[in-house]
Amino acid sequence: MNRVATAFWNPIVAKEYRSRMRTWRSPVAMMVYILLIGGLGFAVFSVMAYANSGITGGGNYGQILFSALIGFQVILLAFVTPALTAGAISSERERQTIDLLFVTRIPPFSIIWGKLLASMSFVVLLLILSIPIFSLVFLFGGIELDQVVYAFLVTLVTALTLGVMGILFSTWLRRSLVATVVSYVAAFVLIVGTLAFGLFFPTQIDPNATKAPAPPAFTYLSPVISLVWIAGDGSYLSASSYGVRYPNTVVGGGSGNTVCQSAPGGGTSCYSTGSSSGGLVSTSGFVQSAQAGTGTVPSGFFEGWQYWQATIVMQLAICLVALLVSAFILPPVRRLPWRRRNLTKSAPAVSE
Amino acid sequence: MITAENLTKVYGKRAALDHVSFEVPEGEIFGFVGPNGAGKTTTLRILAALLEPTGGHASIGGVDVAKQPDLVHSRLGYMPDFFGVYDKLTVSEYLDFYAACYRQNKQRRTKVVAELLELIGLTERRDQLVDTLSRGLKQRLCLARALVHDPVVLLLDEPASGLDPRARVDMREILKELRRMGKTIVISSHILPELTELCTMIGIIDHGRMRATGSVQEVIQHLSAGRRVRIAVVGDAEAALEILKPLASVSHTEIANGAIEATYEGDDSTAAEILQALTAGGIKVSAFSQVDGGLEEAFMRATSDEVG
Repeated sequence: MNRVATAFWNPIVAKEYRSRMRTWRSPVAMMVYILLIGGLGFAVFSVMAYANSGITGGGNYGQILFSALIGFQVILLAFVTPALTAGAISSERERQTIDLLFVTRIPPFSIIWGKLLASMSFVVLLLILSIPIFSLVFLFGGIELDQVVYAFLVTLVTALTLGVMGILFSTWLRRSLVATVVSYVAAFVLIVGTLAFGLFFPTQIDPNATKAPAPPAFTYLSPVISLVWIAGDGSYLSASSYGVRYPNTVVGGGSGNTVCQSAPGGGTSCYSTGSSSGGLVSTSGFVQSAQAGTGTVPSGFFEGWQYWQATIVMQLAICLVALLVSAFILPPVRRLPWRRRNLTKSAPAVSE
Repeated sequence: MITAENLTKVYGKRAALDHVSFEVPEGEIFGFVGPNGAGKTTTLRILAALLEPTGGHASIGGVDVAKQPDLVHSRLGYMPDFFGVYDKLTVSEYLDFYAACYRQNKQRRTKVVAELLELIGLTERRDQLVDTLSRGLKQRLCLARALVHDPVVLLLDEPASGLDPRARVDMREILKELRRMGKTIVISSHILPELTELCTMIGIIDHGRMRATGSVQEVIQHLSAGRRVRIAVVGDAEAALEILKPLASVSHTEIANGAIEATYEGDDSTAAEILQALTAGGIKVSAFSQVDGGLEEAFMRATSDEVG
C-alpha cells in the first residue's frame, strides 16, 4: 500500500475492529439502539394515531415521525459517540500500550485516524441499522428521500465532530474518565449551547438592511437548526424569530418603539408603539419574508447556502482542526523545527 | 552500537539523570543495575526516543536518537517494564498487529510471527487470547513483540520482573539465544545473579548517576574491597579465627552459617597461604572456597553511600 493508503487504512483500524466486535458490548449496544429508536417511533405513531382518531387527514404523520426519529437519533449518538472515542487514546495510556505504538513506524496522525475510523465505523453501523425504521416514514408520506439523505448526512457529520472532539480530549486529558466527562460537556455545548447562543446573542436587525437577517453563524454548528429545516419545520423557527432581534428603535420616523410579532405564514410583522404613528407601520419586505424561506441562509457569511450545508462545513472545519491538534499533542516528544535544540551541547548543571 | 553521553533529565528541581554516560559495543549484553528510582527506565526511554533529555545526547548505531527517532525505532526493539497487552486478541494476532505497525506485508508477517512463536515457545498457543496467558508467557510474548522487525538493538526494562524461577530460566535462555543471534542488548534488572551470568558488561546507576560501568569483572573488582573465602572446619572455629586474625593479608573475619568467611587482599596464592597457615596450625579444614560476592556486593557497595 502506498503512504496515503497506509495513513488511512492502518493496522490500528483492523485491530480495533477485532477487539470491539469480540466483546458482548457491541451487539448489545446495537440491539439497545435499535430498540430505542424503534420504540420511540412506535410511541410517536401511537400518540399520533390516538390524537387523531376519528379525524380524517389530521396531521402529517410522516413529517412528525421523521422529526422525532432524527432528533432522537442525534440525542442517542450524542451519548454513544463520546463513549466510543473519549477513551480511545487515554485507555492506551492507562493500559500502557501507547509507548509500544510510538516505537513502531506508525505516525501519530495514523494512530489518531485509526482510532477515529474504528469508532466512527461503529457509528455508521448504527446509522445503517436505523435505516429500516426511518423507511417507515415513507409509508405516511410528507418526507422525500433527499430530506432523509441530508438529515443522515448532518447526523453523521455531527457524530464525527463529537467523535473527533472525544479523540482530542482523550489525547489531551490522558485519563479516560475526565476525557469522557469533558467530551459530554462539549457535545452538549455543540448541540444545545450553540443553539442557546442564538437566543442570548441574536443578530440585531438593521432596519435599513436590504437582506433578511439570519441567526448568528455560530448557531449553525448545532445540527438542530439544520435538521428542523430539513424536516420541513423551519417555519417554527422563523415564526419564533429564532436568532434575530429587532432593536428598540423607531421605525418610520416616530419616537416610539418597534414591536414585532409572528405573522401567519411564518413571516414577521412589526409595528410602532410610538406616538407619531401608533399603528401598523410599513416594514421592509424582507422582514415579512425574512425566515419563511426553504432553509436557505438569507444573509451573512453563508448567504445562499442551505443551513445543513453550513452546519456540515463548520463542523468539518472543527474536525480538521481537532484532528491536527490531536496528532500534534499525541507524541511523547514533539519535534517542532523552531524547538529543535542542539542536544549535543553540554548539559546544564544539576543540583540535587 | 549504543552511546549515551552526559544524559541529563531534570523534572522540576529533581534530577532523574545526572550526566549519565556509557557505551555498549555491538553484540554485548549490557546489564543496567540500580535501585528503584535510580534512573534506569528514564535512561531506556531516552534511548528509545520516548523521552527528551534535558541535556546530553544518545545514539543507536551512530544515529542520534533525538534527531532521527524514526530511524532509531527501526533499529531497536523496546520492551518496557509492563506487559502492554490488548484484550480480545490472540497471540498470533497480537504479533501480527505489531509487525503490521512496522509496515511489513502480509507474507512477511506470517513468516515472522511463526518464527517468533517458535523462538519463544508459544507456537501451540498461537490461537489463545493474550489476556489469558500466564505472566511468564506474557513476558515472553512481549519480548517477541520487540523482535518483530528484527532489530539490531534490544532495550529490555526489567524483563524478569515478577516471574517465577522457571519463567526466569526460560527468559534467560531466550536472551542467550538472542545474544548468539548477534543482538546488542541492554537489560535493566534487579536480579543480579542472573545479570552476572548473562551480561558481558554492567552499569550500576544510583540517584541518577552512573556509579560504575565496564565488564562485570572490572566493575566487581573496582567496587570490591577484597576477596573472600569461605572456610569450613572440623571442630572449634574459634581456634581457626585465632590463626586467621593475625595474618597480614586478612582484613576481616566472621562466622556465618556455621562457616568462617575471611576477607583478604591478594590473589589465589594468598588464599593458598591462608589455607596453609590453617593446616599448619592444626586446624582440620573440611572446605575452602572462594566466595563470589560478586555483583551483588559491588552493587550494595556502589549504592550504599547515598541510600536513604
